[in-house]
Amino acid sequence: MTATERQLAMVMDLNKCIGCQTCTIACKRLWTQDEGMESMWWNTVNTQPGRGTPRDWEELGGGFRDGAANPGRIPTRKEFGQAGDYNHQEVLFEGKGNGAHLQVKGDRPDWGPNWDEDQGDGEFPNSYYFYLPRICNHCTHPACLEACPRKAIEKSSANGIVTVNEDRCRGYRFCMEACPYKKIYFNEARRVAQKCIFCFPRIEQGIANACARQCPGRVRFVGYRDDQDAPIYKLVDKWKVALPLHPEYGTQPNVFYVPPIGPMRFDENWDLDPTKPRIPNEYLESLFGPEVHGALAVLRAEMEKTRSGGESELIDLLIAYKWSEMFGGFDRDPATFGQK
Amino acid sequence: MLASYLPDTDLEVLLDPDASAWRAGASETLPLTGTPLGMQPTAAIRASWIDRRIGAVDEVRVAALHNGQGLAFRLEWEDASENNDLDDNTSFPDAAAIALPANEDSPIIVMGKPGAAVNAWHWRADAPSQAREISAEGLGTTAPVPGSGIRAHGVWKDGRWRVVIGRELESAGGPMAAQLRPGTQTGFGVAIWEGSNQERAGIKAFSGDWQILSIEATGGAGGGRK
Ligand code: SF4
Ligand code: SF4
Repeated sequence: MTATERQLAMVMDLNKCIGCQTCTIACKRLWTQDEGMESMWWNTVNTQPGRGTPRDWEELGGGFRDGAANPGRIPTRKEFGQAGDYNHQEVLFEGKGNGAHLQVKGDRPDWGPNWDEDQGDGEFPNSYYFYLPRICNHCTHPACLEACPRKAIEKSSANGIVTVNEDRCRGYRFCMEACPYKKIYFNEARRVAQKCIFCFPRIEQGIANACARQCPGRVRFVGYRDDQDAPIYKLVDKWKVALPLHPEYGTQPNVFYVPPIGPMRFDENWDLDPTKPRIPNEYLESLFGPEVHGALAVLRAEMEKTRSGGESELIDLLIAYKWSEMFGGFDRDPATFGQK
Repeated sequence: MLASYLPDTDLEVLLDPDASAWRAGASETLPLTGTPLGMQPTAAIRASWIDRRIGAVDEVRVAALHNGQGLAFRLEWEDASENNDLDDNTSFPDAAAIALPANEDSPIIVMGKPGAAVNAWHWRADAPSQAREISAEGLGTTAPVPGSGIRAHGVWKDGRWRVVIGRELESAGGPMAAQLRPGTQTGFGVAIWEGSNQERAGIKAFSGDWQILSIEATGGAGGGRK
């Protein structure tokens, strides 16, 4: 593999995600509307704790363990959640009035890409949940690329984006076994694997990814990992508050998350109990590794600083006062795509 | 094995695995073995197949015929399950291939080497009336042979696949393809992929080192063997 000269990355602030799925739809409309892509969601947003997309993906293996390839399983279409075939014709055009209701034809599905939305965990009044958006992590040590016997997966040496070369792909799906994040789909019409492309045609024109640009929550930062003046570097390397998901999978993701602080707990008397967080620390550690405790401590300290009237570069960054500064220079208007 | 010369028989006719010509001709059973785990090209494949059987099909019955212009192989093997769809991410189609050396030094086990390609005639059950002709100069390097006139037809019935794959003796594919001539010998190999065992790529049953194929001469006594 040729060395990657620069690496594009994304940071998602989980304290701000409202689970609106605008990112999911922005991606769908732009990239996965063709035949064979009906059930593909290169961007997903799931409620945590939850089973995720595909269902129970964290138990499907792949990635690396102690540096060695760890066997994985291909998720089935049902586990991803299949696109429903609806009775639109019957409801809209057959004059049945209230006699026909919109429903999936055939068997009722028992799973979908956002099936356990807002269920979360915990006991009232201390129940909790948060949203976790996911794309391909464009890993530095991509298990998908290393698994492919046809060298059909490429990592750009210029920007680190990982793509499937569909001319080389023969649909063997070893990448789907190997990706521990289960972020590769199989297009049965074209018989090739397909995945998030980090919007490289936009990036090449200085336009941020659609999921990031469209996000109403100002959740997503985009840019080069090594751009010291831009937010990614500051959040990941300087302030160390943005962490990869499941670092133990060994692929070195380039998508990082600012962990959710969550609200305070209520005690038995319904008073706020500041000593314990509502979202259990162990749960966050199971997602983001032990570094999460340090990240949360920094976030809390900086929040406290601003609360008492001080200034914080970190908090200002996370608030994202200047929306266009979230994109590490990839701030061109998408309406100008293709123009000189 | 002998590829008998059958003048005046259209290759199209031979593509039917039940054609009478096949019934009359000789055939041979080749034992197959799974490709060794250590030869699988990536660590992820080796890790996921370490405890699984590679090469679910034990043997294949092979016959070959030519008409002076084209050569066809007929393969028949036992397979209780017909896997011919991509109905789920975990479904893999049954498949078969004939390997031929493009050059006398072509190594079959590693699918060729630079300058000595292995040419393969590849059939897959999800497109049972099509074939692909590919060449490789080493594991993982397969590329389609341009201008190939390869054809195939496969039928599954009563727990058996019967598949015919054929093309012109002289290929338009140049030095990456096997150029065959009546009255000569060549090596050949067979590989079978069992879809129900998720076999694909290098996960397959194969016939080992080159087998010998004699392509019967067309011109009576004068068409001697090489
Ligand atoms: S997240 Fe999966 S598909 Fe994306 S680069 Fe990493 S291993 Fe490959
Ligand atoms: S668009 Fe933004 S706020 Fe909405 S779900 Fe996606 S990441 Fe969360």
